[in-house]
Amino acid sequence: MNMSDSERTRPVIERMGYSWTDNEEEADLLGVLACSVRQKAIDKVYSRIHKWNKRKDRQNLLTFLTGCILPADKVKFMKLFDIVFPMSELQQLPEMISQYGIVTPVSLQQSQENIDYRNDRLKDLKQKAGSLKLNEHIFDFWHVDPEYTSHFEAFVPIQNGCDKFCTFCAVPYTRGREVSRPSKEILDEVQSLIDRDFKSITLLGQNVNSYGLDKNGDEIGFPELLEKIGKLGNKSGKEFWVYFTSPHPRDMTDEVIEVIAQYPNLAKQIHIPVQAGDDKMLIRMNRKYSVDDFRKIIKTIRELIPEATIFTDIIVGFTGETDEQFENTRKIMHEFEFNMAYIAQYSVRPGAVSSRWEDDVPVKTKKQRFHKLTEDLTRVSHEQNKKMLGKTYRVLIRGKERNQKYLAGLTEGKINVRVPSADDSLIGKIVDVKINIATEFSVAGEIV
Amino acid sequence: MATDYHKTHRVEEVKDLTPSAYIVRFQKNGMQFQAGQNLNLGLKGDTEKRDYSIYSPEQNEFLEVLIKEITTGLVSKKLRRLQEGDELEVDGPFGFFTISGESRKKNKFLFIASGSGIAPFHSLALSYPEMDYQLIHGIRNSDEAYERKHYANGKYISCVTADKSGDFHGRVTDYLKQNPPDKDTLCYLCGNVNMIYDAFDILKEQGLPSSNLFAEVYF
Repeated sequence: MNMSDSERTRPVIERMGYSWTDNEEEADLLGVLACSVRQKAIDKVYSRIHKWNKRKDRQNLLTFLTGCILPADKVKFMKLFDIVFPMSELQQLPEMISQYGIVTPVSLQQSQENIDYRNDRLKDLKQKAGSLKLNEHIFDFWHVDPEYTSHFEAFVPIQNGCDKFCTFCAVPYTRGREVSRPSKEILDEVQSLIDRDFKSITLLGQNVNSYGLDKNGDEIGFPELLEKIGKLGNKSGKEFWVYFTSPHPRDMTDEVIEVIAQYPNLAKQIHIPVQAGDDKMLIRMNRKYSVDDFRKIIKTIRELIPEATIFTDIIVGFTGETDEQFENTRKIMHEFEFNMAYIAQYSVRPGAVSSRWEDDVPVKTKKQRFHKLTEDLTRVSHEQNKKMLGKTYRVLIRGKERNQKYLAGLTEGKINVRVPSADDSLIGKIVDVKINIATEFSVAGEIV
Repeated sequence: MATDYHKTHRVEEVKDLTPSAYIVRFQKNGMQFQAGQNLNLGLKGDTEKRDYSIYSPEQNEFLEVLIKEITTGLVSKKLRRLQEGDELEVDGPFGFFTISGESRKKNKFLFIASGSGIAPFHSLALSYPEMDYQLIHGIRNSDEAYERKHYANGKYISCVTADKSGDFHGRVTDYLKQNPPDKDTLCYLCGNVNMIYDAFDILKEQGLPSSNLFAEVYF
């Protein structure tokens, strides 16, 4: 999601006459696209803005903050950044910057007008602290033509916000309610990417598979959206893979899986976050499904799409997690044979329901559980990768490895592949690779 | 935490049920909801908001929430001081602790509540009086049998722990052990997490599949 936000921010800023620099020291405009999923990320924003504000004594500098921000953080950041706005108001950024003057930022200019503007913004924000407008301009945001950072991989936002209220997460408070992007816009963007020969297209949203539910029948649902994209793929005759992230297990219907099975361009890789393998932990997390419910989803995927890879997200050390509950999570790692799991040690996110509970699993225990589960994943993943040996897979070459002697790519199932070659011309192409080495989290092979 | 989705609703009444529990009634403003859902609400302009199950039935012209005052809480104490005409900020409805019309027709239900966790069951029972249900309510004292007269005869069973004034003396978990439900019963649990965990274990030991168990935890 952050990548997609970034791809839409860049053209808006460039249209104002700014050019990009990799050297932070020479920038006149510095911004942060924040992520509130973890407190650490927000702590980094505080650290960074203090550093930038020190530079204002010796340099013209304008700072802005956008992205995923809690209302309480937003009020604090308004005092530190020159401009703070929800991502949905991105289209208004030029207007906001014009209030400061593009050439002479407010920190040095300090005209009464600018001081008044900033004070008014702060006052207004404080007054509206109980009613921050999170999604008012999300449709404008979706109209921004993105500047893709890759010529073969793209992210397409289809939905914003979340109505699920998992107790460990603050997204419903930072991104607001679920809002679906009109399907015509999504299909137009996907068609344009197909026309430009993109190879990997990822549909993005906090709950992609509840797409359309907020429109009460006035919009198609997620399976229908996937089906239309599948048909675009069939019509094009081109080879490309369409992914989506993140779905919620509660909305993962058989229909979604059936459509993926049916259309070749819908990638046979499903990322479905289980978060825990214990019913009581799932209750505490307010996930609204049981391990049995999740088991049924995996069974359906395995039956309808036997070649599919399955990725997941898991939190260890969530409030109240006992040894027994953690062991249940270890069991599902083996039972469901995930190809990959993004494992996180629980950390308190202010604004989430769980932030009001004691974070009662010691850090040491969290680390131990993290390492144990990672070891389990390593074994499971390695076994899965071994099954690839001797077989040939279509692989999207994404770039060179650091040592320049290998190309790095991904299978349709998003398994990392290393290929001994230095041929730059293959980057962005899908090639056949015969797998001859399988390690824990990747495979290697020769182009055939 | 508040968002632009919070709408203003005017308070109609605050009714005390016990020294620590009360009902806030406020304007419905046309909100459509399904019994069992919850709202996120708080004082106007206050960033602190909390989730409360809707207590009133779907057909009423107002909305009600049942609130247990938490002595260390940031929101429940403020809400108790509300007066008629004051403004609340309300977002919702949310949640999936609901029962479809088809399920209501063909299934038998056991509602298991502790304390103010009875709120969604009050809404369900009054919204769908034809439903085949039994409600067991774990409370410390009989005065916490909030508005028990609202339930049809024999439908409500209080499990009182402090004395023998209830329909059953002991915890809801003790009641469940002595009165196991039929294995095809759909069990809905709402209240504090410890009660839910214990009841969950008992019901599973009694042979109910986890697909028959639904929980809404109050935090």
